[in-house]
Amino acid sequence: MNRGLPILVVEDNDEDFDMLQMTFQSVSISNPLHRCTEGEEALEFLHQTGRYADPDQAPRPGLILLDLNLAGLDGRQVLEHLKNDSHLKSIPVLVFSTSDNPKDVQSAYAHGASGYLLKPVDLPRFERMIQLFKDFWLDHIVLPEGEAREGARR
Amino acid sequence: MQTDGARVGQVVDLTNCDKEPIHIPGGIQPHGVLLVLQEPALTIRQVSENAEALLGVPARSLLGMALENLLTESQAASIRECLLAERLEDNNPLKLITRGGGREHFFDGIAHRHQGRLILELEPTSEKEALPFFGFYHQARSSMSRLRDAKDLSALCVEAVREVRRLTGFDRVIAYRFDEEWNGAVLAEDRLETADSYLGLWFPASDIPRQARELYTLNWLRIIPTTDYVPARILSLPEDAEQGPLDMSFCVLRSVSPIHLEYLRNMGAPASMSISLLKEGRLWGLISCTHVSGPRYVPYEVRKACEFVGEFMSSLLVTKEGHEHYDQRIRAQSIQVRLLERMTRHPDVAVGLTQPPPELLELTGATGAAVYFNGRTTIIGQAPDDEQLQGLIEWLAAKADPQELFCTVSLSHHYPEAAAFKDVAAGLIAASMSRGRHNYVLWFRPEVVQTVAWGGNPNKPVDMDGDQPRLHPRKSFALWKETVRGKSLPWKDYEVEAARELRRNVIDIVLQRSEELLKLNMELERSNVELDSFAYAASHDLKEPLRGIHNYTSLVLREQADSLSPTNHKRMDTVVRLTQRMESLINSLLHYAQVGRTELSVRETDLNDVLSSVLEVLKPRIDEAQVEVRVPRPLPPARCDRVRMAEVFTNLLTNAIKYNDKEKKWVEIGAMDTPDGGTTYYVRDNGIGIKPEYHDTIFRIFKRLHGRDKYGGGTGTGLTIVKRLIERHNGRLWLESQPGAGTTFFFTLGSEKPEPVTGTGAK
Repeated sequence: MNRGLPILVVEDNDEDFDMLQMTFQSVSISNPLHRCTEGEEALEFLHQTGRYADPDQAPRPGLILLDLNLAGLDGRQVLEHLKNDSHLKSIPVLVFSTSDNPKDVQSAYAHGASGYLLKPVDLPRFERMIQLFKDFWLDHIVLPEGEAREGARR
Repeated sequence: MQTDGARVGQVVDLTNCDKEPIHIPGGIQPHGVLLVLQEPALTIRQVSENAEALLGVPARSLLGMALENLLTESQAASIRECLLAERLEDNNPLKLITRGGGREHFFDGIAHRHQGRLILELEPTSEKEALPFFGFYHQARSSMSRLRDAKDLSALCVEAVREVRRLTGFDRVIAYRFDEEWNGAVLAEDRLETADSYLGLWFPASDIPRQARELYTLNWLRIIPTTDYVPARILSLPEDAEQGPLDMSFCVLRSVSPIHLEYLRNMGAPASMSISLLKEGRLWGLISCTHVSGPRYVPYEVRKACEFVGEFMSSLLVTKEGHEHYDQRIRAQSIQVRLLERMTRHPDVAVGLTQPPPELLELTGATGAAVYFNGRTTIIGQAPDDEQLQGLIEWLAAKADPQELFCTVSLSHHYPEAAAFKDVAAGLIAASMSRGRHNYVLWFRPEVVQTVAWGGNPNKPVDMDGDQPRLHPRKSFALWKETVRGKSLPWKDYEVEAARELRRNVIDIVLQRSEELLKLNMELERSNVELDSFAYAASHDLKEPLRGIHNYTSLVLREQADSLSPTNHKRMDTVVRLTQRMESLINSLLHYAQVGRTELSVRETDLNDVLSSVLEVLKPRIDEAQVEVRVPRPLPPARCDRVRMAEVFTNLLTNAIKYNDKEKKWVEIGAMDTPDGGTTYYVRDNGIGIKPEYHDTIFRIFKRLHGRDKYGGGTGTGLTIVKRLIERHNGRLWLESQPGAGTTFFFTLGSEKPEPVTGTGAK
């Protein structure tokens, strides 16, 4: 259903990203996967500026997986920025974090996150979570595709 | 007094004595002669019946006679001139020589006018006795300078009694001061060594009845040369008798009340003299002279000198008494400064105040004090016992009109329960040290009875004299304790002021401390926030590599399991297990940090609801372990945070379920009333129990008593968190346990009482 939509992963931890990539493969997620390791980089990607000035290199994602704990501009600020941007705010953002701090959860939703996923320290659980993510977000949820095109054309 | 001699059926008390008309006794002391003269002829209209003994002329034959007929010719004219003068007192004493019975008689004549009558009193002298004017002047001058140089009131009194005794030769001379109720305290004494000492004694107000005090205000001096006299009645011409009894208010020979004579005789004083001390027109005290070795007459000039001492001393009272207070004020000031310094130096104000030396007592002249701060009482000196103090503080706290300073000399009058401890606290100054919390400094003084030595029994006992009850002054001057029950000595204004100032100082310091505390609190809060973010960051940062280790190990195990040797396979398994354990430790640490920091939402809570929801969550485990859950009685409602209390019950119940190896397992949850009106909750099991040596250590974080994999494992934070939660509720957690028989965890919830220090009054 949403198989073709690019997914942006904002994740500074290589091992976590590696794991994510592997698990995406093992559950057959074929969406194009883009990765930014820093908050500022993610913003450049989304605004197609700086090193992502080339629109082909930085297509507008259909979904963003956002880690909170980032060097520099952290995930909370990135989220806030996105949701205050009229062109970007329609992109669903899933927070993907180690922190189960109620404050973090609260603030993520308050700032417009579409979901909050906890990174488990347990491989089978992680795999199950990714499977569920695929079933739900990629196979069942209707994502705002049209606007994405518009945004990409800008 | 004779006329008043107590009617049958009437209660005989001091008020009768108070009504005796002592200014018209109808007689004089017979050591002199009294004449009432009519001006201008100076006809003798009234005369004392003892005239013949002293003048050699029968009294009756004197009535109607002109005074001149008694005098020598050489004197007649000058005496006449003196007596008819406008200010005749200025000429006292008149040196009179009379003729009668065939010889000359020498007298001091003391004349005054009163109510239109010219009264001449004659006291016999011998010519050579007459003191020259310069004798008096010298006497007076040296007296004056001594009195003036006295450094304070007590020195003034000492000088005065010494001077008077030197002038008069009385065996004992004392100075005493009246209090507000006319009881007299002896301040100074000069006496013959063999005479009893009265120094420091108190004389009750009834010793000098009201009308006597009035006469004392009118006259500077009274003398009774001998108590053993028969009054000489006054004889009058008929028309004078019709005018009523002679008012002798200003007569030096005035006969005194038989009660007073009896009083002196019982004192063992055959002669007495007293000099009034007036301060700003009001009777302030007396210089009282008594003679124990026999009658004593003091000539007019010497009496004048004594009067002068009294007058001069009176004029100095204001300044010297001011000095007395001044000294005490200065002293109070320096104590105040020292106390202030002690309080600021000591982290605990209360301790600073109560450390020896007991300057807190000196500050107000109290015999005991209690400092009640934040629920803790410190006592110095004589004070009521703990229970009495607690009651008193509750009473003070509950008073309808709370004052900064409550001050009384008769506490039981306001607070009847205080009668039980009047021997230490009849007088009280209570200084409230703060508004919300009831903190006090209390000063106590015992009942007067405990401190004052009275000069005899001031409640003149009633003696039965035949059938007639008659007032008698006391027979003995043995020390007697006044029965002013329930009253302390008065608090002086500067003592009360000192208490007030101490209160201000304490409040300043406490306020300053609380500001410091507030600052500290803010810092603490900040560092708590920092700790919190540290805990989360740390957990996040620690978990990241942990996750990596775990995942990669898991992957290796999954994909390369076949190529691993059995040993390495096992090792890799261990790595996975350790990462999981480490994660749970990190989570526990995080949780513990959170418990200490999160706001409690304390409200009236039905613990039965909380418990049943916990039991529902735990149901699978309870069923699995086959544990019987007993709740004998519903739990009383409590003020607590229901989420946190659920956690408390979950942890305690989980432990109870886990650590049980019995065939028939049970756990009981209940509550008991405590003697102080609170509630103690408990969770009891019949499990494996805990050895006494571990009763403290089990509350330490990550402390486990059993192997990691025994009894279902765990991180060892459950009880630590329970303890912290209970403490967050101002409660207490403890346990009783018998290894092998079971464990009971008890806890209280202090948040039930918002102000634990005030006890029941604040509930």
